[in-house]
Amino acid sequence: MSTKEQKERIELLQGTLDLLILRTLLPGPAHGHAIAKAIEFRSDEVLQVEQGSLYPALHRLIKRGWISAEAGTSENNRRAKFYKLTARGRQQLALETSKWDKLAGAIARILRPVEQESES
Amino acid sequence: MSLSKRMLAGLDQDIRDHIERETRDNIEHGMPPEEARYAALRKFGNVTRVQEETREVWTVLWIEQLLHDVRFAFRTLRKSPGFSILVVLILALGIGANTAIFSVVDEVLLRPLPFSNPNQLVLVLGAPLKQPDALTSLSYRDFLECRKHNHVFSELAGNGFHDLTLTGAGEPSIVNTASVTPELFPLLSAKPLAGRTFVPEDGKQGAAPVAILSENLWRSRFGSNPGLIGQSISLDYRSFTVVGIMPASFRYPVDAPPEDVWIPVAQDPLFGPLMLRPGVRMLRVIGRLKPGVSLTQAQAEMETLGARLAREFAPQDSGFTIRVLPYQQIVVGGAKSPLLILWGAVGLVLLIACANIANLLLSRATSRGREIAVRIALGARRSRIVRQLLTESAVLGLLGGVAGLLLAAWGVWILRPFLPPDVARINSIHVGGWVLAFALSLSLAAALASGVAPALLATPSNLHTSIKEGGGERTGQPGGQRVRSFLAVAEISLAMTLLVAGGLLIRSFALATSANPGFDPKNVIEAEVSLPQFQYSTPQQWTAFSKELLERLQAQPGLRDSALAAPLPMDRQGEANFEFSIVGNPPLPPGKSITADYATVSLDYFRVMGIPLLRGRFFSEQDSPSNPKVAIISETLARRYLPNQDPIGRQMRFGFPPNGNVSREIVGIAGDVRDVALSRKPGPMMYVPFAQAPLYGGEVVVRSSLSASSVAAGIRQAVHSIDKDLPVTDVESFPEALGASMAQERFRTLLLSSFSAIALILAAVGVFGVVSYSVSRRTHEIGIRMALGSAPGTILRLVLGESARLVLAGLGVGLPAALALARSLSSLLYGIRPSDPITFIAVALILTGAALLASYIPARRAMSVDPMVALRYG
Repeated sequence: MSTKEQKERIELLQGTLDLLILRTLLPGPAHGHAIAKAIEFRSDEVLQVEQGSLYPALHRLIKRGWISAEAGTSENNRRAKFYKLTARGRQQLALETSKWDKLAGAIARILRPVEQESES
Repeated sequence: MSLSKRMLAGLDQDIRDHIERETRDNIEHGMPPEEARYAALRKFGNVTRVQEETREVWTVLWIEQLLHDVRFAFRTLRKSPGFSILVVLILALGIGANTAIFSVVDEVLLRPLPFSNPNQLVLVLGAPLKQPDALTSLSYRDFLECRKHNHVFSELAGNGFHDLTLTGAGEPSIVNTASVTPELFPLLSAKPLAGRTFVPEDGKQGAAPVAILSENLWRSRFGSNPGLIGQSISLDYRSFTVVGIMPASFRYPVDAPPEDVWIPVAQDPLFGPLMLRPGVRMLRVIGRLKPGVSLTQAQAEMETLGARLAREFAPQDSGFTIRVLPYQQIVVGGAKSPLLILWGAVGLVLLIACANIANLLLSRATSRGREIAVRIALGARRSRIVRQLLTESAVLGLLGGVAGLLLAAWGVWILRPFLPPDVARINSIHVGGWVLAFALSLSLAAALASGVAPALLATPSNLHTSIKEGGGERTGQPGGQRVRSFLAVAEISLAMTLLVAGGLLIRSFALATSANPGFDPKNVIEAEVSLPQFQYSTPQQWTAFSKELLERLQAQPGLRDSALAAPLPMDRQGEANFEFSIVGNPPLPPGKSITADYATVSLDYFRVMGIPLLRGRFFSEQDSPSNPKVAIISETLARRYLPNQDPIGRQMRFGFPPNGNVSREIVGIAGDVRDVALSRKPGPMMYVPFAQAPLYGGEVVVRSSLSASSVAAGIRQAVHSIDKDLPVTDVESFPEALGASMAQERFRTLLLSSFSAIALILAAVGVFGVVSYSVSRRTHEIGIRMALGSAPGTILRLVLGESARLVLAGLGVGLPAALALARSLSSLLYGIRPSDPITFIAVALILTGAALLASYIPARRAMSVDPMVALRYG
């Protein structure tokens, strides 16, 4: 992919992809491609995951026991591996979400006054 | 299948599916198929990297990191070869010394005996009730009783030693012969290489003479002749039928020279006829405890039995008891405590080496302070960096360990000839197996132990100051100098401990070797001549032979000073130690006995050996078998048992068993002789004339100015002119024999002094390191001092003063440790006390000298500091 494209996208912070995957799986199981598409679609295509990087992340989450993988058939009746949130994954998602909210709030509070100062 | 395998197995398919789906999506969005696929691939990214990264999720991280650290360690170590080589060398010295000693310890102390269930094996020995440590053999009668009336042993067997002359197979020669009871072989589960072992019938008196040969004798003297079984060989001119060959691996007892021949006790020319007499203690009895029977139980039963035998076989067994001792303990015997001391000593050497390495690592870590600080600033955790530094130590440790193993293998090879021959199982000592594991784990442990403190000190908990100060040469870590000094002090104190031990042994050895043996060994040659029992069976024949031999010897030019004795000092004198009584002295309390070493000697013996006559007369021609029996006693015997009176003319009763109760008149007092070893003070001795107490052989001693080889040839010629089939063995010069008697002492003195030398060098290197580090750290300060007018001499004193403080602290700490070690050495010392002031003072001086010398180089550097440079750049 070209450098130009890269600049327009926001690079994901380490660990953020994990959080996004967990969130994507909250409604129900999905296969790899569907997860990638969902992340792109929901973020209005701002967060364009390099799709390949999904796989190490998926495996990492399986290793930690937050998601599980099982064989299934996709919408057009093809074999596919479906990833599913586990109970522990659900807890982890709640925890990470609240952490993320706090962090985002804190960063926002720090950033906003600075902007006002520089504007005035 | 494990989770990781299951997950990774489907990975390629998952990725293909993913790309295909994306391609299809793209086509649905209206892209041409070719472009759609290309876009999908582009969006997915580097497939190979994704596969790798996914796989990494499942690989164990620490192994990866370890490999990385090891590679990094090798790279950094290669960058400073001087440092690396120095550390590896120091470690190699420490590990090598430890491994060499451990291989001996392993073989001698730890390895189980080469028999099945060796823990069941015990020796059953006799001892006087009053002196339970004066162990002796059992009589055949005692053995039979023990065997018949016990519930604790599954089997008992006995053996005695009696060398026989083998003729008819090449040169006549003396073969090591064990006279055994037939049970010995089944008891030890020993299987013959060919033929059979003894059966109970072979052990009966009057049975046909049979013999079992060792594989070695069978190969060397009988050309591995497979038809030898059933043929007869000639031992002491008597024919024995060979019934079996024992493999070379069979050795019993393991702590004696390997046997060549085994015969039944009943066939032994000396013991056979005496075997049923009570009081003839010739059997060393080995027993195998029944499973589940404890040593204490066996001991209790044997004590009861011993008490009954003491009554039944009175007076010979009166006052005697039977003791049961683990065989392993007997085999290890006297080798244990010197070995443990040596082991402790090498342990100290290794400690010093570790302290030294810790010091070197510390200097190195300090000079890498900035690098470490930057890495921490870039996000490396402290634990990660400590781990990396420890990996570096471990790599160094293993390199040192490998070098040490090579050194040890070489050391064992070098040491073997120096090992005293009576160390059990000496020939099987080698580096391998356990020793290898020991060396490698030791080197890892040593490297990590020396690496921990430097690694912790090098990774500051306070990053800020570290970066600001740059971790440069000048500042160093705050705790560094203290740790350094502590290490140097530890090294000095350990070195002092070792030097004191080495010094004490050297002094003892010097004192012992310069001790007056009581005779003049110079220019004296000894040779052993023994007479086959069956041909020379009567005392008259023995006397006649000895007279004839001495006449023929003395007739040869240059061999005028020839004599005969049995046994000789430093040979087996001391083994013949007999009870005696002095007529007219108050009787001894029952159960108590006095003994003296015994020797039967020809007329000229005292003159040839240079043993002075103090009172009375030497033996003369008139002391013939028909005249009254006479004896000469040693000065110590006279002083101890006949104090303040004239012993000449008094009567003593003693003799060679079984004729132990012969009355003899004391006719002379001879000077004391160190008869067992130079390091043993002379004990009481009694001499009898050979003509009145002949033996079936003896040692010829010749004082001659001729060369040793021509004397030996002369002795051989004289012996063979009487009987061409008589073997002459163990020809050696007396000074050689004296040296051999000091083999153990020489060996441990040599070892311990080399260890102390290593310790001294390492300690000096340690002091050098500390002082030169401190000088480089204080360059700035020294510059200021010199700028303010300090003379170079003051600076010199400043630096040397620092090293003097280290030495004083080290000596202070080392003194009690050295005293403690010295006390544990006391059984090995001769002629000095463990707290020998000369040794301690000499050691203190040597250490101080070495330390000052080691700090002189950095001191010179300090003196040449240019104040301008120091102030500007320091």
